[in-house]
Amino acid sequence: MNNLIELKNIKKIFQVGGGFMGTGSKDLTAVNNLSFAIEEGQTYGLVGESGCGKTTTAKMILMLEEPTEGSIIFNEKDLFQTSKTDQAYKQEYKSSVQAVFQDPWASLNPRMRVKDIIGEPLEINSNMTKKQIKTRVDELLVEVGLQAYQSNLYPHEFSGGQRQRLGVARALSLNPKLIVLDEPVSALDVSIRAQIMNLLVDLQKEYNLSYLLIAHHLATVRYMCDKMGVMYLGNLMEEADATELFDNPQHNYTKALMSAALPSHPDIVRDEIILEGDVPSPINPPPGCVFQPRCLNKEKCNCSKTPPEIASVSAKHKVADCKCCRS
Amino acid sequence: MVNKESKKKKIKSKANQETILSVKDLQTHFETKWGLIKAVDGVSFDLKKGETLAVVGESGSGKSVTSLSIMQLVPSPPGHIVGGEINFESENLLKKSDREMQSIRGSKIAMILQDPMTALNPVFKISDQVGETLNIHKKLKGKKLYNSIIEMLKKVNIPDPEERMKDYPHQLSGGMRQRVVGAIGVSCSPTILIADEPTTSLDATIQAQYLRLLKDLQDEFGMAILFITHDFGIVAKMCDRVAVMYAGRIVEIGEVREIFNNPRHPYTQGLIKSVPSMDEDIDRLYSIPGQPPALWDVPDGCRFSPRKETSCCDECVNNKYEMVEVEDGHWVDGCKCCQNICSSQKSKK
Repeated sequence: MNNLIELKNIKKIFQVGGGFMGTGSKDLTAVNNLSFAIEEGQTYGLVGESGCGKTTTAKMILMLEEPTEGSIIFNEKDLFQTSKTDQAYKQEYKSSVQAVFQDPWASLNPRMRVKDIIGEPLEINSNMTKKQIKTRVDELLVEVGLQAYQSNLYPHEFSGGQRQRLGVARALSLNPKLIVLDEPVSALDVSIRAQIMNLLVDLQKEYNLSYLLIAHHLATVRYMCDKMGVMYLGNLMEEADATELFDNPQHNYTKALMSAALPSHPDIVRDEIILEGDVPSPINPPPGCVFQPRCLNKEKCNCSKTPPEIASVSAKHKVADCKCCRS
Repeated sequence: MVNKESKKKKIKSKANQETILSVKDLQTHFETKWGLIKAVDGVSFDLKKGETLAVVGESGSGKSVTSLSIMQLVPSPPGHIVGGEINFESENLLKKSDREMQSIRGSKIAMILQDPMTALNPVFKISDQVGETLNIHKKLKGKKLYNSIIEMLKKVNIPDPEERMKDYPHQLSGGMRQRVVGAIGVSCSPTILIADEPTTSLDATIQAQYLRLLKDLQDEFGMAILFITHDFGIVAKMCDRVAVMYAGRIVEIGEVREIFNNPRHPYTQGLIKSVPSMDEDIDRLYSIPGQPPALWDVPDGCRFSPRKETSCCDECVNNKYEMVEVEDGHWVDGCKCCQNICSSQKSKK
């Protein structure tokens, strides 16, 4: 498989607080030294708790934020460097990467009709005539399980699940290669979630799409993803094929996250690993291994104060190599 | 081993324990511009001493309105409790005056709400908010009040309670805020604690902490928990019995294991099948077609018919039906077609 997009040592630092002209502001490291690649036609899942940098990563892939350090490689070129000079390249990237957001109530403009919401990207990015756009919108609506006549309605006339389908239709309009799914089902009702997940899986097979799925519900990730990464406080703690990671987790944080996941049947009883305390502030992260203050072996820990290297467990399974966290 | 046996005994003894809250044919309606909404339409269940009963349902199924009706906090207008009984300590709560309800709320029946940021008042210190309930119901003052506040905060694992009690809600993290709400809930050792989706706004590891805390508090105070949730995972993890709600009615109620292993109503079956599992690979997830009915337009008879692969017969859709006990303690509220016992459906096959 070819890599569609590759992130290399990405770092994002936000300046927070401070007074006039930013004096006395502090550095918030949202994403620290993150590297991973999304393959064509595959789903990459990012899991982690709130504040771990999942959404910042997604924003950088969508070019809504620029990384402080590191590079994103698309079509063998550095995305942010090349797009500054090469408009055609930027245009191509922007139409091949789309997003579906978490909250279908907030992500659709209540004053626009469905045909305008889905047609807007086409109007801006393609040379299609109005008639062609209309046909395409109708096609897309049918594609996501709605009906063509609904293109004249407003978003409030739809239910939550249907709105999320509209979001998917809008993302599909430009025939993208990668869709960033930021918690696409967590705002939906339980009986609707399965419908949307199945729709996304079907569309992926049909159009050979790649997905970056951001989620905190592990079962969703297991169902949809081929490969996944576990993030904590801006760092990638572990990365592997989804099945491998669920069957053979190495890092203590991954284990804790999995033990905290709710069972699907009352007879499934997991070993409870209950972490103490909260996620520390990313403004002043712990030195060395960021997970150390919550690690179960923290008393015995005498690891160095330098951040751990990434070690390979097997060819596709990588883990942050802190000795305490891995035992 | 010893531990396991004692656990089994505990579960058994729970089944025989006395009923402390009994809701009978509760009906709560709302008058809106779209018409009369029967948010709760004939809900009946019993809550036994020390057990955890989960009420599961999607948004709009009436689970929160059920809990608000028990507390009599339904906003009125537009809401009215138009029928039924809520029996607690051999008295009907619906016949009590506002003043009498005030002495029950917070002391004998307490509630934990979903969002701790809105449940806590942003302009009062933590100590004031935890102390308020203790002051009103237990008449504690001064040093005694101070000590009980610290004791309560310690019980919910707030580190350094002497300092933390001086904080305002915004100075605490989401998990800590929810623990403070929990402390307020259990501060007067209630007999019933109603937890309305208390962990929805929390992260996975914090949710695990909080569920463990609730279990520990339950063991210590011996209270019954009415756990309102939309997540079958929480039901599987920490509840004894479960009631599944759909469009204002309980469609199925029973022991958790019985419901998971032997669901009778097609809605329950669909819900359990449509939740992905973390423990195995699934090729294709089952999904329930369609969406819940609009509450101003529910049929008299079967409400689930439009969402079934083969819809129910006309007789079932139009006629009312009663809840039936299919096994010991396992009740199903569904038309004959939904339970696969309808004669016309059989003849169709």
